[in-house]
Amino acid sequence: MSTSPLLSSSPAPTEPGHGGHGHAHGGHNLTGMVIFLLSESVIFLAFFAGYAVLKSSSPVWLPEGVEGLEVREPLVNTVILVSSSFVAYFAERALRRHNLWAFRALWGLTMAMGAYFVFGQAVEWAGLPFSLQSGIYGGSFYLLTGFHGLHVITGVLLMALMLFRSFLPGNYNNGDAGVTMVSLFWHFVDVIWIILFVLIYVWQRS
Amino acid sequence: MASSSGLPFDPRVLKAPHPVPGAPDNWKRFFSFNTDAKVIGIQYIVTSLFFLLVGGLLAMIMRGELITPPADLVDPSVYNGLYTMHGTVMLFLFLFPILNGFNNLLIPPMIGAPDMAFPRLNAVAFWLVPVFGVILMSSFLIPGGPSASGWWAYPPVSLQNPLGHFINGQFLWILAVALSGVSSIMGAVNFCTTILRMRAPGMSFFRMPIFCWTALAAQTIQLVGLPVLTGGALMLLFDLSFGTSFFRPEGGGDPMLYQHFFWFYSHPAVYVMVLPVFGIFSELFPVYARKPLFGYEVVAIASFGITVLSLIVWVHHMFYSGTPQWMRNLFMVTTMLIAVPTGIKVFAWIATLWRGRLRLSTPMLFCLGGLVNFIFAGITGVMLATVPIDIHVGNTYFVVGHFHYVIFNTITFGVFAGVYHWFPKFTGRMYYEGLGKLHFALTFVGSALNFLPMHWAGLMGMPRRVASYDPEFALANVLASLGAFLVGVASIPFILNMVSSWARGPRAPANPWQAIGLEWLLPSPPPAENFEGDIPTVISGPYGYGLDRPLVENEAHYIARAQED
Amino acid sequence: MTTSSPRRFPIAGLFLIAGAVALDAWAGVAVARLSQHWLPVQASSAAPLVDGLFALESGIGTFIFLGCCSVILWTLLFNRAPKYDLRNGDPIEGNLRLEVTWTLIPLVLVMAIAWHTIQVNRTLATLGGKLRTTGGHDHGAELVAQLPAGRSEPLAPVGPIDVIARQWSWEFDYPNGVRSTELHLPVNRQAEFRLISLDVLHGFYVPAFRLKQDIIPGSEITYRLTPTREGRYRLRDSQFSGGYFSTNQTDVVVESEQDYRSWLREAALLPLQEAPNPADSLYQRRQERGDRGWAVVPPAPPPRVNVSADPAALHDA
Repeated sequence: MSTSPLLSSSPAPTEPGHGGHGHAHGGHNLTGMVIFLLSESVIFLAFFAGYAVLKSSSPVWLPEGVEGLEVREPLVNTVILVSSSFVAYFAERALRRHNLWAFRALWGLTMAMGAYFVFGQAVEWAGLPFSLQSGIYGGSFYLLTGFHGLHVITGVLLMALMLFRSFLPGNYNNGDAGVTMVSLFWHFVDVIWIILFVLIYVWQRS
Repeated sequence: MASSSGLPFDPRVLKAPHPVPGAPDNWKRFFSFNTDAKVIGIQYIVTSLFFLLVGGLLAMIMRGELITPPADLVDPSVYNGLYTMHGTVMLFLFLFPILNGFNNLLIPPMIGAPDMAFPRLNAVAFWLVPVFGVILMSSFLIPGGPSASGWWAYPPVSLQNPLGHFINGQFLWILAVALSGVSSIMGAVNFCTTILRMRAPGMSFFRMPIFCWTALAAQTIQLVGLPVLTGGALMLLFDLSFGTSFFRPEGGGDPMLYQHFFWFYSHPAVYVMVLPVFGIFSELFPVYARKPLFGYEVVAIASFGITVLSLIVWVHHMFYSGTPQWMRNLFMVTTMLIAVPTGIKVFAWIATLWRGRLRLSTPMLFCLGGLVNFIFAGITGVMLATVPIDIHVGNTYFVVGHFHYVIFNTITFGVFAGVYHWFPKFTGRMYYEGLGKLHFALTFVGSALNFLPMHWAGLMGMPRRVASYDPEFALANVLASLGAFLVGVASIPFILNMVSSWARGPRAPANPWQAIGLEWLLPSPPPAENFEGDIPTVISGPYGYGLDRPLVENEAHYIARAQED
Repeated sequence: MTTSSPRRFPIAGLFLIAGAVALDAWAGVAVARLSQHWLPVQASSAAPLVDGLFALESGIGTFIFLGCCSVILWTLLFNRAPKYDLRNGDPIEGNLRLEVTWTLIPLVLVMAIAWHTIQVNRTLATLGGKLRTTGGHDHGAELVAQLPAGRSEPLAPVGPIDVIARQWSWEFDYPNGVRSTELHLPVNRQAEFRLISLDVLHGFYVPAFRLKQDIIPGSEITYRLTPTREGRYRLRDSQFSGGYFSTNQTDVVVESEQDYRSWLREAALLPLQEAPNPADSLYQRRQERGDRGWAVVPPAPPPRVNVSADPAALHDA
């Protein structure tokens, strides 16, 4: 039986008649992932809308004693995260050229950059003068960045799974839809972060 | 296939995860993690029908309370929990799952696919249903009881948590609804991918059965709308359990923000429920009138018109909340616009009946009853879209009457019609027609008696969600309660019919209704992979009644093959 | 009559259809007139406008409903297949002209209703600005109440009367300091309210006035209306507010200018007393019986008022 039920592009042995359908399944997987990402982006859009509405209509926005957010460190994190998308793209290119070791190196680098982002976020959180309960500002900040952070962690874990699978012999006989899907997810996470960054860190004044 | 064990089949097939031709009927597969869409479809449907009875039982207690003006049957706090759970169970544990069940049963055969695009994801999506069902039902047993803030869960009431426990009814409710959302999104990704990518050769979009059109339209709404509800529910959960203040005024939050999040999904949600039933009506009227569906292409496109419009009407639930005048006018206009694509479908069905040759079997009776009820419900819907009228009757029993006319008298009628119509195909047995007609008669009369008087009570000013009311509303409530009890009684012939027919009804042929469609070119029940590699090529549009055109190439071969079993 | 043309319109059929349409139209008008009986008495300046819209839509709705049902009934009577007859019906797949017609007519109809209603809305505008109390941020005052054309307004609006909603009681605080759990208003004079909730969402709803406005905690809502008929009318909490929400009801007494002023004067002389409150008594009873039932928020203390509503008084609507 295949390992990951959701990302498998190889046919299950007990399902007859699926022998030659590996590529069709890869296509299904990609379509499914695109549809899923479109839907997932809506939850972020809803949070963005809620954030914007609360920020613009509330008489009191920032909690007592808080003047705003430090932008420099998060900007560094942002650059690292967005660059990791390019690294992932090169990793995919290497895989398509069947250069497995280049793929693994670049893919691992992407994971490291993603992990650094999460680490950086945790450090930022630890140093903030307000908490989740600090009014609508605290709630919105931690909910948005936390929800996004969860997606980054999920992305890193999925990438680890892909990395592990790259060591299985014959894993790419039916295409590399799994890697493409995770790459897509990763790019999605990055785009969401760019919007989040602009909303929370850039748009700080009324 | 003889084996050494002496049985006429290889005993290892008994452990197969899906039905295998030649093996005896293997009931255990319905209780296992089975990836066959037909098994999953039946799992969804039976689970949903169980919860229909649970929700119905809650309704019986509620109507027992409401048959007299004072709150004398149960404590008001209990009544609040009952009506909350009635709505929640009916929507999330009956309607959404049963429609997913229909999707599973019908979509693959109708488009000539062997299964869904993601069979394991499909099974996971189903098994989430009993999980969140148990979570939701368990809230009846915890101290403080279940959620009692209505199925809308508006803050600040939903945040009050009188007993102060971390695990409380509202918490479990939010958890269950969130899991329901996850299950639905999984289903939506699956259904959309399947319809987009796995149609038989020759089946262009405009040769696809209308049920698949409406399923695609409905699942698109799920994908766009559900995440917003999930977002709102998450924020509510954080307010309830982790001390945030998104919706708490004392913390600077805004209760109205929740309403926008909630209704942005929950209005389109009703179209998620009604569109598949429109699809069922569109499938069944041609069969039982033996006429093509009138204006098939227009009806198909109207489904997506409804999808688009449904996403821009949500504020009509908030006309009396304090929305500015320009917003109320705008959303009144968009809400009234939905009457147009919906009207197109209604007129198309009536035109399908016209000069047909009608057979009044049970499925057709439910379709006709549902159609008549829907015309009425649509009219009261336009009244509710009219802002000044809504300001008077909003949050009264007029609304309760209206939406039950849609949800029960239309949608559930359509669900029953679909169950009866496709019962022979997927169980291989015929149901008893007499019991079916009895079920229809009792349900039609009961539901009319139940929900018509509510409109009157609402016009006179009876608020909804009340456990007690002023004496002038007594007559309307007595009539409604009698109707409700009749509807409850009507479930008896239905259950009897379903159980005994499946167990020992007469064997059904491949095409008992002489209908045109790919699913009718399969045996009853269809084998594990439906067409099993020998997928027909579609050469004409659907509903070719009287047009003397074969649906697929080499049709006679498939008809003969279906009857072989 | 012999003819070789494939399709003839029988004159008799046309008459039948014309007759049916006329009958349908008559039924629509009849229902529009009847609809008034399904509504409470009209006690505010808004009521006739609301009822007029309802009559219009009931009439049109009846016409559509009966029209569709007659066609369906016709097919049930004349298009039934005999028992074992599996022949097909007429193989009609569509008719573009018909489809365009039944798209355009409903479109025009609903847009006409919407346009008409927008005009009615303008006349009805009774909503004042929604103001937030935390920080006094003015959220943009709305168009202030207009009286229907033809009605002159000699006196200034009554009020502002503070309408205080709690779980589960109503309190009305008048500008001269009088507090009451029964709302008294002079007839034919605009009244201004400040809708305030001390805890959760509530709904200010008087069916006889045809008016409803949710009360939002954390905001103060200015609201205006004009009662036009003397009498005693129910005021009901319309937005579910938990627990004993169904008991959160009181009366609005609309009286002549003189009676109103004398009531106001006499009320000011009465001592402040706790008003009897059904939610409170139900809760006490529940406590006496061992607090059985599901979780419920203890009711807010009953308001201390000069005048309490008379629970035994009969209301007109």
